Amino acid sequence: MSADEDRPPSRGPDVASAFAVPGPVKRLFARFPLRVYPPNGPPLRAPQNRRDPVLYVFATRRGAVAGAPSFNPGCLKWQAFLKFRGVRFVLASSSNHASPSGALPFLLPAGSLPPDPVPSNRLAKWASDAAGYPEENSPTSREFSYLGLVDHNIRRAWLYSLYLTPNFDSVATPLYINATSSAAAVRLFLARELVNAATDALLGTSSVIDAAQLYSEADDAFESLSILLGEDSWFFGADSPGILDAAIFSYTEPLIQERLGGGGMWVDGTLRQMVLGRPRLVDHRNRILGMYF
Amino acid sequence: MASSLEDDVFEKLKTKADIDELERREKEINARVHAQYEKSQQRVAELLGANSTLPVTISSIRVLHANNTRRTFLERIFEPLLGANKDRPYTLEGALKDVSAATDKLNKFDIFKSPISVFIDRTDPADPSTTPTDINVYLSAQEKSRYTIKTGTEAGNAEGSAYASAVLRNVFGGAETLQAYGSLGTRTRSSYSASFDTPILSDPGLHFEVGGAGSSTLKPWASHEEFLRGGSARLKWTSPSGQHRHDLAYSGSWRQITGLASTASPTVRADAGDSFKASLAHTYALDRRDYPLLPSRGYYLRSTTELAGVGPLGGDVGFAKLDVESQAAAPLPAGAALTAGLRGGLLYPLAVGRWNPAAGHPEPSRLPDRFQLGGPTDVRGFRLSGLGPRDGPDAVGGDVYAAAGASLLLPFPRVGAAAPLRFQAFVNGGRLLALQPPPGGKPDGGAPLTGGDVARGVKAALRELRDGGLPSCAAGVGIVYAHPAARFEVNFSLPLVLRRGEEARKGVSFGIGASFL
Repeated sequence: MSADEDRPPSRGPDVASAFAVPGPVKRLFARFPLRVYPPNGPPLRAPQNRRDPVLYVFATRRGAVAGAPSFNPGCLKWQAFLKFRGVRFVLASSSNHASPSGALPFLLPAGSLPPDPVPSNRLAKWASDAAGYPEENSPTSREFSYLGLVDHNIRRAWLYSLYLTPNFDSVATPLYINATSSAAAVRLFLARELVNAATDALLGTSSVIDAAQLYSEADDAFESLSILLGEDSWFFGADSPGILDAAIFSYTEPLIQERLGGGGMWVDGTLRQMVLGRPRLVDHRNRILGMYF
Repeated sequence: MASSLEDDVFEKLKTKADIDELERREKEINARVHAQYEKSQQRVAELLGANSTLPVTISSIRVLHANNTRRTFLERIFEPLLGANKDRPYTLEGALKDVSAATDKLNKFDIFKSPISVFIDRTDPADPSTTPTDINVYLSAQEKSRYTIKTGTEAGNAEGSAYASAVLRNVFGGAETLQAYGSLGTRTRSSYSASFDTPILSDPGLHFEVGGAGSSTLKPWASHEEFLRGGSARLKWTSPSGQHRHDLAYSGSWRQITGLASTASPTVRADAGDSFKASLAHTYALDRRDYPLLPSRGYYLRSTTELAGVGPLGGDVGFAKLDVESQAAAPLPAGAALTAGLRGGLLYPLAVGRWNPAAGHPEPSRLPDRFQLGGPTDVRGFRLSGLGPRDGPDAVGGDVYAAAGASLLLPFPRVGAAAPLRFQAFVNGGRLLALQPPPGGKPDGGAPLTGGDVARGVKAALRELRDGGLPSCAAGVGIVYAHPAARFEVNFSLPLVLRRGEEARKGVSFGIGASFL
């Protein structure tokens, strides 16, 4: 039996098994290889921690080690949600190329072989399973419409503010581009790609990009969320934070930071002022940061 | 009258000629032509022999038909031969030798149709500016077509592709070549390149080339697709015999690891994304094999040294990389031959932007820079990249490797040694190792490497190569066929020694390529 285990796993069916191999030949084949040594050690850049699930997010290298909030709202939302559920995980600073869906975040469960990544749309279910939570209720229609406010109104204003205003050079470039490559040509190309992607995303739902309208819609959204939160600790008066808390935190946290990810200052501070002007949202953010990070 | 003449012709045609008579006549004509040719050759030889020490000076050289070739380009080749540039006259023999050497040079540029014919003529004695020793040389150099366009399909190692290429020859009249190539395939999904090549100082052995290339290649052994864009400038030198080659290249390339399989390992995921490599590389090759694809005597040596990222090169990766390949062949009785190959490589991580290997923090190697080992064209009996460190389903490559193999090649009994077909018995093996973290472990994102860590790591890896037990190896028998374009092998092999995780092949495997271990 142990000899069988020593045999290396083969990817496809053995060539020999395609034919009816007589017993003696089969036994002869099974004797090879004559000697099996322990495996070769992994390369230096290979991640060493295989005991914990790994959440792949946009983060600075230092931020990933410290488990600091990701500077990308899409990633931060799930990072916060997993923390709310009390799931143990580590962060990996990564890029969209690493993701099976083409976008971060995604999670690689510990010790699965072959690796079976969990994309962001299955993260909620995975988190409940991992934390032994009862099956997550699908968002109520009320929750759903408020999530829509975040994912539509606030996200669009965020995209505009980060990629199509001077914030791009001061905030986005150091985080998304300069960290990727030090080569000028690569940076130039990636910068163009990012701006184009943001423009496409904005033009996907409307024919023109109207800054005033985007900002006023975001302002409305922040206002309604602030009213919804009221004097409660968490949205809808819940005992513990949920998906909407994670979603709103994923925008308030980076906007409240003066230097996002240790990068440059906000040049266009319109969105930032909207958050800072609503103490309930600021308290909400501080509460999450204090309790979970 | 006309009609009677026609009748006469037809009559003549109708009468059957005596076949024997015809044959006899033909033979006679042939014999006469042959005798004439021999006699003229003899006369030329006698003439040359008698005049071999005749002092001559070349007063002019005229290259005919070379309408698109620059005068300055030709002048560099022929100027040294002219009488005006020599302090003493040639003998006729010496002059002819130099003219033929210059003609050979012209041939090597590959812009003229061969043969280039040479005529020699005495100068006009009536011309007062000439001396009695003057001769004129005429070369008839027909230019080749200035462009070639090709399309086709290719089949290689588990790969099929279709390609199109265009070559513009002699672009500026100095044997410059402009080349464009594009292909689509199953493994190399797309590849395109363009280059401009020019000889330096009209020397066919010295070339300068600038080019750009892009490609997108599936690398299933490490669950990803590599997208590459780059440019390079290189200086190429070939010895007049064609055996020694040097190539010095400065290149920059942007690599993107993308399109990961859903089962890709954490190691491959960690290296996904963009990186830029700026490097200076030197390649030296010496080929003394009688027949490179199926050698029976001679040897081959190639070494590539690459320096990336250090000093002003910059970029995202830093390392010094040495890769050596050699092969030797010795003939045995009865057309048999023994070939042996040895390959090795080392990647030494260095700090980007620094010269001193001990300063700064060296960057551990990345997936696209590390070596891969195993497959039908290097260590037979293993899957493609089947040797070395693995992470789950992926061959993640190593920083140090050594591989060796020996093959006994026997001619087929009936076919004989002249046919490019051989029986082969081989044994080959190797190790591929990654540098290991300094003792005490390197926690994720922990302290960066130091120069000392790297030096100790490399030493430990080399020690492991030497003392780490038997190399992973396989042995087998097979058939080799050397087609002029590539060598084909069908082998049956069994693995002898393995590291756990390494992927050997038990049974039959097929190899196709230009260079084998």
